[in-house]
Parts: sequence; structure tokens; C-alpha cells
Amino acid sequence: MSAILFDRIDEPGLNDIATYERRGGYEALRKALAQPREGLLEELKASGLRGRGGAGFPLGMKASFIPGADIDKYLVCNADESEPGTFKDRELMQKNPHMLIEGMIIAAFTVGANRSFIYIRGEYVLQADVLEQAIAQAKAAGFLGENILDSGFSLDLVLHRGAGAYICGEETGLLDSLEGKRGNPRLKPPFPANQGLFQGPTLINNVETLATIPAIIRMGGSEYAKLGIENSAGTKLVSVSGNVQRPGNYEIELGMSSRDIIFGLAGGPDEGREVKFWFPGGSSSPVLTAADLDITYDFDAMAKAGTMLGSGAIIVVDDSNSVVDVALTLASFYKHESCGKCTPCREGTNWTVKMLQRVQSGEATPMDLDIIASVQEQIIGNCLCVLGDAMAMPVGSLVAKFRPEFESHIEAARERNGLGLTPPPASEEPVLSL
Amino acid sequence: MTDVTRFTHGSRIPGWDDSVDPNKAPAGIPDLATTPVPAELREEIQAEMAKYPVFRSALIPALHAAQRVHGWCSPEAIEQVAAVMGITPGEVAAVATFYDMFETKPVGTQTIYVCTNISCSLRGGPKILEAMRAAADGDADFNIRAFECLGACDMAPMASVNGEFVGPLAESDCAQIVADLKGGGEVLAAKQLRVRPCADEAGRVDGGQTTTSEVTQ
Amino acid sequence: MPRPEHNEITLTIDGRDVTAIDGQILVDAARGGDIEIPVFCYEPKIGGPVGACRMCLVEIEGIPKLQTACSTPVKDGMVVHTQTDRVKGAQQSVVEFLLVNHPLDCPVCDKGGECPLQDISYGYGGGKSRFIEPKRHFVKPLGLSPLIAIDRERCILCYRCVRFSQEVSEDHQLVLLERGASTFVATFDGHPYVAPFSGNIIELCPVGALTSRAYRFRARPWDIEGSGSVCNLCPAQCNVTFTVRDDRVLRVLSRDHDGVDDGWLCDKGRFAYQATHSDERITAPLVRDGDQLRPATWERAIQVASGIARHPGAAAAIVGGETTNEEGLLLGRYMRDTLASHDIDSRQGGALSAGVLRELARTDLQATVPDLEFAHTVLLLDADPVDDAPVLDLRIRKAARRNDTQVLVASGRPTALDARAAVAVRHAPGSAASLVLALDSALSGDHGAATNHATDAGSDLESINALADALKTGGEDVVIVWGERVTDGAGGEAAAKALVNISTTLGLGTREGSGLLELPRGTNGRGLREVGAIPTAGPGLSNPVTVGRSTDQIAAAAAAGEVTALWFLHADPTRDGRNTEIWTRAMASAGLVIAHASTLSPELAEHATVVFPAEAGAERDGTITHPDGRIQRLRKAIGSPVDVRPAAAIIARIAEVGSGVDLGPATGPAATEAVSAAVSFYAGLTVDEIGGRGLRWQDRDAATNLPAGDLNGESDAPVPAASPNGALRLGTYRSIWASPEVELSPALKFLSRRPTVELSPVDAERIGVIQGQNVDIGTGTDALRATAHLRSDVPAGSVFVESGLAAPGNLPSEGQLIEVSKA
Repeated sequence: MSAILFDRIDEPGLNDIATYERRGGYEALRKALAQPREGLLEELKASGLRGRGGAGFPLGMKASFIPGADIDKYLVCNADESEPGTFKDRELMQKNPHMLIEGMIIAAFTVGANRSFIYIRGEYVLQADVLEQAIAQAKAAGFLGENILDSGFSLDLVLHRGAGAYICGEETGLLDSLEGKRGNPRLKPPFPANQGLFQGPTLINNVETLATIPAIIRMGGSEYAKLGIENSAGTKLVSVSGNVQRPGNYEIELGMSSRDIIFGLAGGPDEGREVKFWFPGGSSSPVLTAADLDITYDFDAMAKAGTMLGSGAIIVVDDSNSVVDVALTLASFYKHESCGKCTPCREGTNWTVKMLQRVQSGEATPMDLDIIASVQEQIIGNCLCVLGDAMAMPVGSLVAKFRPEFESHIEAARERNGLGLTPPPASEEPVLSL
Repeated sequence: MTDVTRFTHGSRIPGWDDSVDPNKAPAGIPDLATTPVPAELREEIQAEMAKYPVFRSALIPALHAAQRVHGWCSPEAIEQVAAVMGITPGEVAAVATFYDMFETKPVGTQTIYVCTNISCSLRGGPKILEAMRAAADGDADFNIRAFECLGACDMAPMASVNGEFVGPLAESDCAQIVADLKGGGEVLAAKQLRVRPCADEAGRVDGGQTTTSEVTQ
Repeated sequence: MPRPEHNEITLTIDGRDVTAIDGQILVDAARGGDIEIPVFCYEPKIGGPVGACRMCLVEIEGIPKLQTACSTPVKDGMVVHTQTDRVKGAQQSVVEFLLVNHPLDCPVCDKGGECPLQDISYGYGGGKSRFIEPKRHFVKPLGLSPLIAIDRERCILCYRCVRFSQEVSEDHQLVLLERGASTFVATFDGHPYVAPFSGNIIELCPVGALTSRAYRFRARPWDIEGSGSVCNLCPAQCNVTFTVRDDRVLRVLSRDHDGVDDGWLCDKGRFAYQATHSDERITAPLVRDGDQLRPATWERAIQVASGIARHPGAAAAIVGGETTNEEGLLLGRYMRDTLASHDIDSRQGGALSAGVLRELARTDLQATVPDLEFAHTVLLLDADPVDDAPVLDLRIRKAARRNDTQVLVASGRPTALDARAAVAVRHAPGSAASLVLALDSALSGDHGAATNHATDAGSDLESINALADALKTGGEDVVIVWGERVTDGAGGEAAAKALVNISTTLGLGTREGSGLLELPRGTNGRGLREVGAIPTAGPGLSNPVTVGRSTDQIAAAAAAGEVTALWFLHADPTRDGRNTEIWTRAMASAGLVIAHASTLSPELAEHATVVFPAEAGAERDGTITHPDGRIQRLRKAIGSPVDVRPAAAIIARIAEVGSGVDLGPATGPAATEAVSAAVSFYAGLTVDEIGGRGLRWQDRDAATNLPAGDLNGESDAPVPAASPNGALRLGTYRSIWASPEVELSPALKFLSRRPTVELSPVDAERIGVIQGQNVDIGTGTDALRATAHLRSDVPAGSVFVESGLAAPGNLPSEGQLIEVSKA
């Protein structure tokens, strides 16, 4: 398989523009600037590239939603990689920042945006520093700024560091944050393509998506589309973590078997351990079990299995772990990261954590598991953005698929904590009866 | 039994139980004429404001800058940001308290985020947090926090030490980290993310070692 | 700019055809079809939808997911379901989630009985809770400000209050802190939420989280009744509902009127009702006995006051802004027709001729309040709405925020709207007239004259041209909001003519949404002028038989012994800070001083001969005229204390006893009819026609009765601005809080003003004072001691001293030079 994004990415000094250019960097930009915008849009469409951030929306179609009118338009790169288990953009930005910058310039040229931003999560200090240097180099080399390579096209690129909030990975939360506000998601519609950053049309895409654009231009869209499989074109960076022997990022062609990724590339769980369940697309995706390992890794197969490819982050959980701990860790994370704007997410995550704490300490009954499951259903589809669903779907799937373990955990914890054997101690406060 | 949350009264959130102080003046936009701001901080914030079509976008960068100067987003720091940007300190505080990286209480200068999210917790993240706290032994200069996924699950369990990602950590590494910080030297040089090679064969080059470092401008 | 067009469409909700306006929000469209969709966060007065509470989820055919009705614009043919199991399930889920942490303390909650959460829980909730965890408990209630208490347990985070602070009042003080389930409503670092409009959040709160500290536990919804009236504390004349229990006002709520207040109230209007029931209020007539005022019988008080009949030709009246049209007309009649005195004035800064006043009143030149919202440009001329007519500040902000209206400011003191202004020009304090002349010249292309006037105004041609260009290029619909002080002093008449000229140049008379809007100093400034309570015009702005003395002239004449009887109808000129010293002398030399007042200033206490207790706002009946010509009714909400009588009845009785004349009906609908009979362009107006919403006289046929104006009279040139040479140019301003009602209301008392002087940092450094130190304004024993408040936006060379205080000091007039030194 031909590596596109990770091709010799460890080459020392690749973050330097000289090395990048020596390897053919910025050639795609020259090629793109010489083309009409409509042609570029066609190439992007022909590539079949679907957004790599999580939603999987086709890039070409998204770009075509940006109105052609001569108004202030923006390009935003979502580098707020916060989905637990995901760390692919980090490696790309750190080791090959110019590929992202080149992709962004081409994307901005395609949609006619003259201002662009990389919103990078604040915790990525090294990557932000690398990008800042790379942007300065690109500016000095005339790839950014006024009248790029005499094309008449101008682009300003600003690196914007976030400050620690998962919700800013949600595109409209990111836009609010980039406008200097609390990162609360917005109502959609209007979609960013019509009213995004500073109310202007905004193309917002993930790092990996934008970094793939130079390759698409270089190869031609239809050539790129030959990689991968139908409806899941191209290569994808997969972050494999959790209980595997060789955690890390791997570039695969979509359509590969999941087992080959987890076991072949990442080495599978430690000797003597078995896969208990795994998240195929970040912690927000409903879990799959060992029985699902032969499903191919692509958008459609995952959707068919009732889950999603998401950001391409596989988290493997082996049989040494308690499903209750995983569920509580998950729910606590989403509770912590809920922005608090909409009711079902704010209260639902909060309530779920409280119930799971009782499950963990043995204070729950099987009826509480019913309530947990029902609360997840009440969250799904009723929220302002997808964060609520992002907790409800995996937690719901864990309760559904591992209910006996939840029940036995309650029993065991109850005994361990001495609950249920004697009546609970009388409350110090008098009980009022009505 | 003692930890069972059922018998306690909800979680306490800082600020929830505080009344306003009626003797304070309402917090409108602070006037630069009466709010002294260190010149460097002011210039940095103004430079950030100039980068964006709408100056308000510079609020998060401005808070980063103010936190660097003041050590935390103190009321004074927030007022200074507000004065330079011409917005109310309330707006600044609303943003500062939303984001995890902004400290709204005084903290030590050595910032350690230990990831306790799912991938790290599967590989002992919570134990690393305990070990790190034990290693710092209550030293007020150490700000050790459990943090959500830092995006480095490949080196789990991991921590961000003053912004430098290190991992995979053994519990024994924590004492070393504390010692390195106290000594002012590099932290756990061999386990830094900047020297970690790509897991994918295709990414490797001869020698297999990589270092991301400063480039010549 | 054009108002939005309204095209009717039909959609189907729950199987019923509903007619609505294309693009209307589904919640509103459904309400129009008598179908309720429950909401918490949606409040169109605040702004666009946020979709936060998720209460309004509905099913729309063709869209797989449930949609928030608060954010969905309706389209023709849309089919909506609000009663399906899916929708009910979502509604029950949301109610259950909202009640997770909401305490069920309705029996002891102030909101109980008038609480949307309570109603919606009953109407749309599942009726049971599965939440068995302990609810959150916090200390409660906490003070959010001296006016507002916050109960954080009850808050459902609907965003209304913080959105009000960000998007309506734009004070940006009230914010959300923290994140997720820990989010809470608060201010920065424990500062109180004190802002001119803060009380509106109490009304906006859909639960009992924000309550009025003044109203808490005073009544339950079934104890009270609402009584609609109009707030008479400032010219904005907001429509209010007095909450009455046992003949006492306990609360004031907004009575939403798009043509007046847009549904908001300022905190003065909301809380100053407390002055009504203050122990310090005068509630019986007082008559001088030696050096003291003592309570007296009504007969005695009337007897003493009717002594005014013995001062024919030497009596003068100052009519305060809170006077109703009926009272103003009656007093004017008695003064002119019986006492042969033409010295009656309701303005402070000097009189304009009747001809010019009629020009300014031209119906085609008159802008309305809603015009502000849809104008291309709003120009503020030496007016700061937040202090002069607070609720209009919100209207202009709304225009700028929602409709991109261009705001222009030309003023002496920096205004609250400067931050919103495309161009903000400063003139020397008291030199607004020169600035208006300069603008007139610049607009008509006379750069020579413009330069001279600009210099006289303490400004420069460049600034004036910037203003003129913005006016010309910003779009056709222009509303000029001008403060009464523009026409103060020698150049007032010239400035008024220039205003008319500017209107002609800009074609304001030819466009529906354009025109002038004056902000008078007094609540009923416009009405009093129109009923003839001014020295230069009779009722209906008719030419007077004789032109009388204006306020300043009356003071001088009284001090000189030419005027021997003074009648202060709801007025106390010693509180204005203008010519206090002359007024004190005038009152001392007058043989008879009649006052109608609720409280006594030291000067009145020392010099008044007889004081009649004044009715409070909620006790009054009568009509007042809004600055845009809307005639509104004050309706009696509560009975007066036993010895408080309507001022009009007192005037009529004095006329009867003193002069033996019958002035005709003094109170009730007949008195209003007397006003419409006297004012030609109010002809035929009755209280029934005015009704609860009021109506603009310009919209009635009788408006054509307004006699033609006259711009050809002589007028003096304004005095050029003094150039500051070490001394500083004096400006004054009257804060929204500078009023006796604020001092009398226990809730508002903390806002009563202390002498403050605003200085530029440059002058402060030269004088050697820092923020908060005391300075002396003026020299010697006359000096006023005030606290220095440094403001970067105050131009060097000027100082602004707060006026309207209980102890105003004795300041020279606006624009004069004055020494300011460190105390």
C-alpha cells in the first residue's frame, strides 16, 4: 500500500520547509493555483474524500456549499483533536506541518477564502510551536500572504491555540471559541458554510482531511478515489490505543479488516488476554465486541454494525477490565466536557454519572440499569449538538451488551461494601411522613 | 461506606455559595486610565487583537498571556485583559472558567496534567496520578491535575509536564519527573513525545529515530 | 429602512390549518393558531433563538429528527405535530431532566403560582421522577445585587438573564461561569450586578431563581391585582403594571408596548414605587408658621395659597416635568386669564418662540420610537438616552445590533452609546447649539460658516464633516434624537432653526421612518409645552398675547423683587444645580411661595409658604404626552393617603377661593376633554380613545390643526466655547439615579448619587488627583466638593459634574470655566 500522509514522516527536519520542498512539497499548490477553482472543486469531489474528523461528510460537497459571492469567507482547520483515543492529527502536525498548510492554501483558494485559522487544542504545545514556525516559513517563502506566487490570491493564516475544552472540537463550538467566547455549540441551521465564523461563510475541516488535499491534487481526484473502497475512498490514519501491544497511528486503506488493524498492526492485547470490546471510532462510538473483529474498517461497514468510523480511533479493552469502570470513566468525561447549554446533555450526563457511581459502589439495583438505559434514550436525538449522544450511545451500548456483568458487579460490590446484609443506618435527620 | 455519595449533599462548586459583595462597584469595562497593565502584557494582547478581523477573538490568547504573567487568571489578570480589550471582566471570567487550562485559583508554577481518560486509565493512568501526587509530596509549587484525554494515547499512560508530553510512564518515573523539574533540567528526555518514532512502518526512515525540534528561520 | 414584509402563509399544526406570517418562528405561529408549544429559553424580546432548553421539540413532516420550534421558521404547507407520542416523550424527558436538580419548593417559592416551570411541569411533564440521588443544596438565597436575589438551586440555565445582559442591555456584567452541570449565573469576582436595567432579569426568569428583594415574600399571586398605568419618572413614559395588594403598590412590571418601551423597564421605574409608601413622604398640607412649616388643615392651606390672587401681574409659576396636561393647562389658564401673569415655564434652559416650536412639532418631522429601530442612521445630539430616557437606550442598541443601524453621536459628555457609534464627536460642554449650526452649514456645503461654528463649539471642521458625511451616506431614514439642552441658552433659538434646516436638507419630512425626536428634561415636557405651560405660547402652541418670563428670568425677577409670588407645581429649581444661589434669593424675597411636593429640599423647607402634598405616580389620574406625541393615560392604581389631593383640584380650589373664578372641570375625563378642547391638534380626544395603549396625536385627523410655524424671527448667536486655560470647561449631567424617588425608596437608596466629577486622566494628572480622591470645584465657600472619577473618554479641558443631587452646590452655567483643585 502506498502511504500518503505518513510516507517517511519520521525524516529528520521534515518540519522544515526546505526538506518539505525537496520532497516535492508545495508543487501541488503551484499546480492548483494554475487551475480554475471549479476544476479544483471537481477534483475534490472526484476524490470521494470524506471528512476525517468524525462525521464523515464528503469534503467536495462541503466545499461546494460555500457561496461563490464576493464576500468575506473563512477557512478553519479543526485541530482540536480531543476525542478520547484520537491522536493522529498530532503526529501529522508535529512532523509534517507544511502538508497541512499546503492543503489549507489550496482549500482556501478553492472556496475563495482569504482568511484562515488553525484552531489547535491548547494542550498541543509542541505541535503549535512547530506549526507557528512552519507558517512563518511559508509566509517568508511567499506561499502565504498577499498575492501568493503571483496568482492574485491572498491568504492570511493564523494559528489559534485553544485552552482545554472537548466541545471545541464540535465545529460550531469551535467557531464560538475562535470568536473569543465560551465554546458553546450553535443552533444549526444556519450551517457554517452559510453563516460560520464572524457570520461569514466558513469551510471547516479536520487536519487530516486538509492535509490530504495536496495528494489529491498531485494524483488527481479520480486516481485518489481508487484507494480504499466504494464510498470509503482513500487512506485513513487510525489511532490504535488501549490494551494493544503496539499502540500508535497507522495509515491504512479503508476497507481493511479490523482484525488486521488491531492484531496485525497494533499487535493485539498482551499475551494471555483477549479483546473484550472495542471502540471503533473514538470513545463516542457504540462499542463492538470480539465477535465483530472481522468487520471491515470503513464508513458503511461500521454504520451497518450500528456504530461509526468516527475519527478513526480504535480503543481496545481487554478482558482484564471491568465494563463498569469503563462506562463510568466515559460518562464522567462527557459530564466534565458538556458545555451545559442544552438540558438533556447537561442533566443527562450528570445524572448518568451519579447512577453509574451507585452501580460501582453496589448501591444500585437492576432497575437502575433500566433507568440508565432509558436516560440514554432520552438524550439521543434531543440535544443541541452531538456531545450528549456521544455519551449516550457508547454507554447505552455497554449496558445493552454487558448487562449481566453490570448486574454481577452490583452484587459483588454490594457484598464487598457490606450493603444489603443489614438495613442501612438510620438517617440522623428525622424523616417527615406526610 | 464513608465514600458513598448518597449521604452527602451534592458536589460543591466554587462560587455557587457566594453572595456578591454589595460594597464593590459594578464591574463595567475597566478604564485603562485607572487599571495599570504591565506594558509587555498590554502589547502582547494588542498584537493578538490585531491578528483577527474581530478583536474579540484574541480573548483566549490574551488569557494565555495573562496567565503566564500572573501565574493564574486572578481577578487582577482578568481585569487587565478586560481593560486592554475594552470588554467587561465578566465576559473574560465567563471564558476563563469555561476552559480547563485556565487556572481560576492560585496554583504552583510546575504544571503537570496526568491523563486519566479511557486509554490511559486502561494502562494505569489513575495510578500514575497518585504516584505523581505522592512524588510531589504536597509541594505547593506543583500543580498536578487529572486531565481529560491529551491526545497521546499511543504513549499511555502519559502526562503533560509544563506542556511537554511524556510517556509511557511507570509509577517510578514520577519521582524522576519531580526531581527533573526541581533541578530545572529536561524532563524525562527519553520518554518525550518529540523523540517518539512513528508506529507505522511507512513513516520510518533509516535509523528509525526522529526528533522534532526548532527549525532555522 | 423598510420594515419587514409580512406575507401570509398557511401551515398545518396538529391537523389544524394555521395562518401565519412567512418565516415567523413556529412557536409564535402556533400561538397565533391557539396551539401552545412550551418554551423556557425562547424569548423573542431578547433576540434570536438559542435552542438550549429543548422544551419546544416538535415533529415536522419530512424531517427525521425532532426540531426545536423556537428556531424553526414556518413555511407554507409545513405539517407540524405537537401531540404525538414521540413529541410527548421528548417533552417529558426534558421536564424530567430540568427537575433533576430543581428543588420542589414551590409552596415557599416566590414564583409559585406564576411560574412557567410549574405550569409546564404540570402540563407536559411525566408526573413522576426517577431521580433518587440527593439534589444539590446550596446556600440560598444569595444577593446578586441589592435589588435581586438569586437562588441557584432553582436555576434551570435557560440563558435568559445572561442573554439580556449581553444582548439587550449590553452591560455584559451578568455571565455564566464554569461549564456543564457546574455552570452558574454570576458576575465577575463577586461584584454586584448593578446596571440601569438589571431588574428586567427578574421578569425574564421562568423559575424562581431570580427574585426581587423588594417583593420577596410580600404577596402571593392570588393576593394581588394588576393595574395598568404609565411610569411618570422620565420622558420615556414606559407602560407599567402596578402590582397592588391592599391598596399598596408592591411591585412594578412591564406592560409590553412596542410603540413605547419594547417591554423593558429601567430599575428606577421598577423599584421607585417604594417612594410612594415612604415615611419621609409629605402626606398633609404644610403651612409656614414663623421659621417652620407645620401641618395644617386643607382650609388653612388653601386660604394661604389663595393669597396669590393678591399678586396680580407679579406671580410666576414653574411647572415640573411630572405635571399632567390637565394640571398644566389649568395652572396656565389661572395664571394668564385671572392673574394676568404670563410668567409660567416648564423648561429650564430658556424659551423658544411659538413659531419655532410649531416648526419642530410638524407632524412630518416627527419620528416615533419604533422609527429608532428601523432607521438607517440615528444621530444623538447632546443626548444620552440612558440618563435622559433610559429605555430608548435599549431601543437604539437593538437597532444597531439587529438592523445594523448606524449610530452617530455629537455630545459634550461621552455617552453610553459611544461604543456603538460609527462617529462620535465631542463639543465643549454647553456648546451643542454651535455644533448644530456647524452641522447645518456643513450639510449645506458652507464650509466657511461650518468652520467658524465648529470652532465656537470647541470642535473642528474635520469632525463635523465626518458627521455630515455619515449622515448623508448612511441611508435615507435618519432619526435625530436631540436633548432639550441643545436649545438651552442664548443660541437655543438659532439651534432649533438649524435643526429644522438640517431636517429639510436631509429630507426627513419626506420619509415615513425619519424625523426628529426630542428628549425633554421633564417627563411630560412635550405635553406641558403643548398645553401652554411655557412663556412663549398658549395652549396648542398658539401665539401668546404677551410673552412671559422664562425660568431663569423668573428667578432673576423674583430676586429683584419684580415677581412677588412663586408657584412650584411639582418643581424645585434648587435641585437642578442651575442658579441655585439666585433661586435661593428669589424664594427668600418672594412674599408667597406655593409648592406641590413629596419631599422638601432645604431651600423649600426654609422659604415655602405653603406646601401641598403631591400625589405619587400610582395615585395619579390624567394624561401625559410622550416625546413622540403619544398621549398616554396615567391611571390611578391605588388610593392616595387621606390628606393627599390631586394638584388640579387644588389649583381649581385656589382659583375659586382666591379669585372667585371657576376654572371648569379639574379632574376626571372632563378635564382631559378640556385639554383636547384647548389644544387644537388634540381636538376631540377622549380618555376612551386614548385607552390603555395611548395614541399619537399626529396619527389623528386633528393633527392638521397645528398652526403653521415661523422661522423668520430674530435669534441670537450662541456664545462661543471658552478656551480652557488652566481652568476647565464645566459640563453637567443628570444621572438616571439623581431623583428624589431614588433617595426615598429603600431598595434604591444605595444608588443615590453623591457629588462626582468626571475628569480626563490628563487633567487629573495636572491637578494631581487620582481615582476616588476628592476635588474642589470652584473656589472659596461656594466650592463644591466631589469625588474624582477618571475617564479616558472625557476630553481634556472639560469636567463633568453630576447634577440633580439633593445638595447640588452652586455651579455656574454649563460651558463656563471653573477652577478644579485637589481637596
